[in-house]
Amino acid sequence: MIELIHLEKKYEQTVPLKDVNAVINRGDVISVIGPSGTGKSTLLRCINLLEKPTGGQILLDGEDITDPKYDAVKARRRMGMVFQSFNLFGHLTVIENLMLAPREILKKTKQEAYDTGIALLKRVGLAGREFQYPDQLSGGQKQRIAIARTLAMDPDVILLDEPTSALDPTMVGEVQAVIRDLAGTGKTMMIVTHEMNFARSICNRVFYMDQGVIFEDGTPEQVFDHPQKEQTRRFIHKLKVLELLIDSREYDFAGAGTLIDQYCLRSDILLRVKYRIRLAFEELVQQILLPVLERTALHVTVEYSEEEKTATVIIAYGGPRYDPAEGKNDLAYTVLKRSISELTYQYTEGAELSNTIRAVILS
Amino acid sequence: MHRKKQKSETRPARRAGKAAGIFILLAMMLFLVTGCSGSGNKAITSLEQLSEPGIRIGVPSTIIEYDMLKKDYPNATVIPYTDSPLGYRDVANGRLDVFVYAREEMKLAIEHGTEGVKLLDGTYHSNDAAVGISPAAKIPNLQEKINTFIRELRADGTLEDMFDRWVLRSEYEMPAIPKTENPKYHLRVATSGTVMPYSYYVGTQLNGYDIELAYRFASWLGADVEFKVIDYGGIITAAATGEVDCIMANLYRTEENSKTIPFSETLFVVEMTGMVPDSARPAAAKSFWDSIAESFEKTFIRENRWQLLLEGIGTTLLITVLSILLGTALGFGVFLLCRKGNPVANGLTHIMIRLVTGLPTVVLLMVLYYIIFGGLSIPGTIVSVICFTMVFGSAVFAMVNTGVSTVDKGQAEAACSLGFTDRKAFFDVVLPQAMPYIMPNYREQIAALVKATSVVGYVTVQDLTKMGDIIRSRTFEAFFPLLVVALVYFILADLLTALARRLELHTDPKRRTKEKIMKGVKAGD
Repeated sequence: MIELIHLEKKYEQTVPLKDVNAVINRGDVISVIGPSGTGKSTLLRCINLLEKPTGGQILLDGEDITDPKYDAVKARRRMGMVFQSFNLFGHLTVIENLMLAPREILKKTKQEAYDTGIALLKRVGLAGREFQYPDQLSGGQKQRIAIARTLAMDPDVILLDEPTSALDPTMVGEVQAVIRDLAGTGKTMMIVTHEMNFARSICNRVFYMDQGVIFEDGTPEQVFDHPQKEQTRRFIHKLKVLELLIDSREYDFAGAGTLIDQYCLRSDILLRVKYRIRLAFEELVQQILLPVLERTALHVTVEYSEEEKTATVIIAYGGPRYDPAEGKNDLAYTVLKRSISELTYQYTEGAELSNTIRAVILS
Repeated sequence: MHRKKQKSETRPARRAGKAAGIFILLAMMLFLVTGCSGSGNKAITSLEQLSEPGIRIGVPSTIIEYDMLKKDYPNATVIPYTDSPLGYRDVANGRLDVFVYAREEMKLAIEHGTEGVKLLDGTYHSNDAAVGISPAAKIPNLQEKINTFIRELRADGTLEDMFDRWVLRSEYEMPAIPKTENPKYHLRVATSGTVMPYSYYVGTQLNGYDIELAYRFASWLGADVEFKVIDYGGIITAAATGEVDCIMANLYRTEENSKTIPFSETLFVVEMTGMVPDSARPAAAKSFWDSIAESFEKTFIRENRWQLLLEGIGTTLLITVLSILLGTALGFGVFLLCRKGNPVANGLTHIMIRLVTGLPTVVLLMVLYYIIFGGLSIPGTIVSVICFTMVFGSAVFAMVNTGVSTVDKGQAEAACSLGFTDRKAFFDVVLPQAMPYIMPNYREQIAALVKATSVVGYVTVQDLTKMGDIIRSRTFEAFFPLLVVALVYFILADLLTALARRLELHTDPKRRTKEKIMKGVKAGD
């Protein structure tokens, strides 16, 4: 139904969309997830032509809507948009918000528009509010009205741009319920969201966006449970990552300590976990590995999962097989054992960094 | 419920404001009519005494004696007056020691009831009154013709007779002068309309020495005559730019004036002398109500002067209302064009608006009248409407611009995403929400415009202010006509803003009733 071909959007300073390619089929419910500032909202706004793409094409049922000769209004009439900030018309009552576009654009009679409006209000659970003004409603109510307003135009596609991000946490549920209900009707939908559990529960496809491209495109099971890319995995598990590269014996270990401290502060890591990370780092790298390794080239990664509140230290290094558990430094190993809950060792034949240690820090 | 309350809260506040305004006006009137007396005056009995230190000399700002007095009496304070009746009054109440002006003028003022003053003997300086001639006059050899005419008039004694009748004997009867049949020329004469007995209004008719002179000259020349009433501030410019053919307005031929335009031969000599307080006959103490009643009679009733005021109000209203309507259309239209216009067009618009808002309105008005439309004979009223349309239009542009920018961008985006065209989104969604921000400003600008139009006298338009001046020149009263004019402006501004207020309430979408919203719709269960 919608085809995105090498879609690009450039500003003077940033490039939110670098090269986006995707096919959206009729009936798809697509969640767009990804870190902030990676072009998710821009993608939706480009599809709706609220932003003009600077390159590539958008085909709507085979017709190129990015063609300068194409009338943007024609495309927009087939797409509904729900905004993060609701954007209800402040000078009109709720029912007029729902009646305005059907009357002006679909040329419905006032009575028809009114009847549809009332029916939609019932559907989003706000019957009886028709004569209130938007500023008399709560955020959740406003967003439900905004969804009803979009539905009143009976669009082929509904684009939802972070519909619950501006809401009080207590109101997220009521809006999600309405969206869930909508997803069940077979409407084509595209929703940008940070609520991953919600996304997973309503959609049949997930786009993971990062650095201006769709990094991963698959079913929720594929993307959430078996992400193909490291970046996707880190995002899904809400991992905070610190990477250190130790390439000589004169490496600035005091400086590394400061980096770890800063990283822990940034990631809201508990003080005791921070000490354990530092301890694990020192014992493993300085006491156990450095004295025995022939070549000093270690790749240290610290990961912290916000969801599970666990930290992991991963150390990869080259050279022949060396498992610290079988090593000679018993004292250091004993000290190390006290701050970790799990230690695994893996040897990959032929890889550059063939040895990998994963130490899960005790929390 | 909520809305009603708001209304009832603002009403008393507005009423209180109005009451306070009227109170202040009345207090001013009381203060001015009863006058304030000065103290420590030096009794001046001859012109020689002007060289004494600390003397306060008043003089009309437009005559050459202003500069001469400053040079001749460095110890004195020379105060310029735009209006000689104000000077007479300040002499009477002791704020000035002496007022220097034409003897016959001041004599006339005393005859017409200016009290507590007398004239000094002796002459400070003499001026030659003459006809100013436009170097760009439409009539060929005009200077030569006027000079021949004056010489003939002097030779047969008419010139002397005219001076005798109008100035010395104060006979204010216009003799019958035959009108030219099939005129060869069209003579445009600039005159002041505010100086008795040379050029002044009786009712709505121009009268006086200079007017008679103009009719006689037109008859002699075989021309019909058109008078243009212009302030002294703009009268020489009008001749220099060819807006008129000549000036007959008791104008003095001075060195400075002669540099700008040529003058005719001397018509008569004007002697300048001093007016001083008359300690022997101080201003008679009249009762407050008597003096009000007398002023009222002089300002409104005598010679049907209320007609002048009414005419002035009509002109002021015409210019204001037309400028509001056209200015609104202009400002809004330009805004619509600029809304999605290219940067060059927008830049040009902004430069134009900077020009209009950056210039004093009176300068803009004169530039338009004398320079831009100078060659075409477009009436001052139309030029005024053009000028104030530009002024009001740029104000409207600015307020619409600001008002629209207060509306969140998301509103237009939401409308567009529903399938509205850009234009429709603007009119149906953005503009109605901008109106509550635009309208209060709009009201203020209307009130400002009513007052701003008071400068149109510079371009021959006889509006309310100008009519006030004309009446003042006849009554020799400084204040009463001024206060009447002030009160009328106050009422006009209030009326027009009240109308705008109604419009404001009408355009406020949140004031619609449920019935209006639901008109034509049957609600279900």
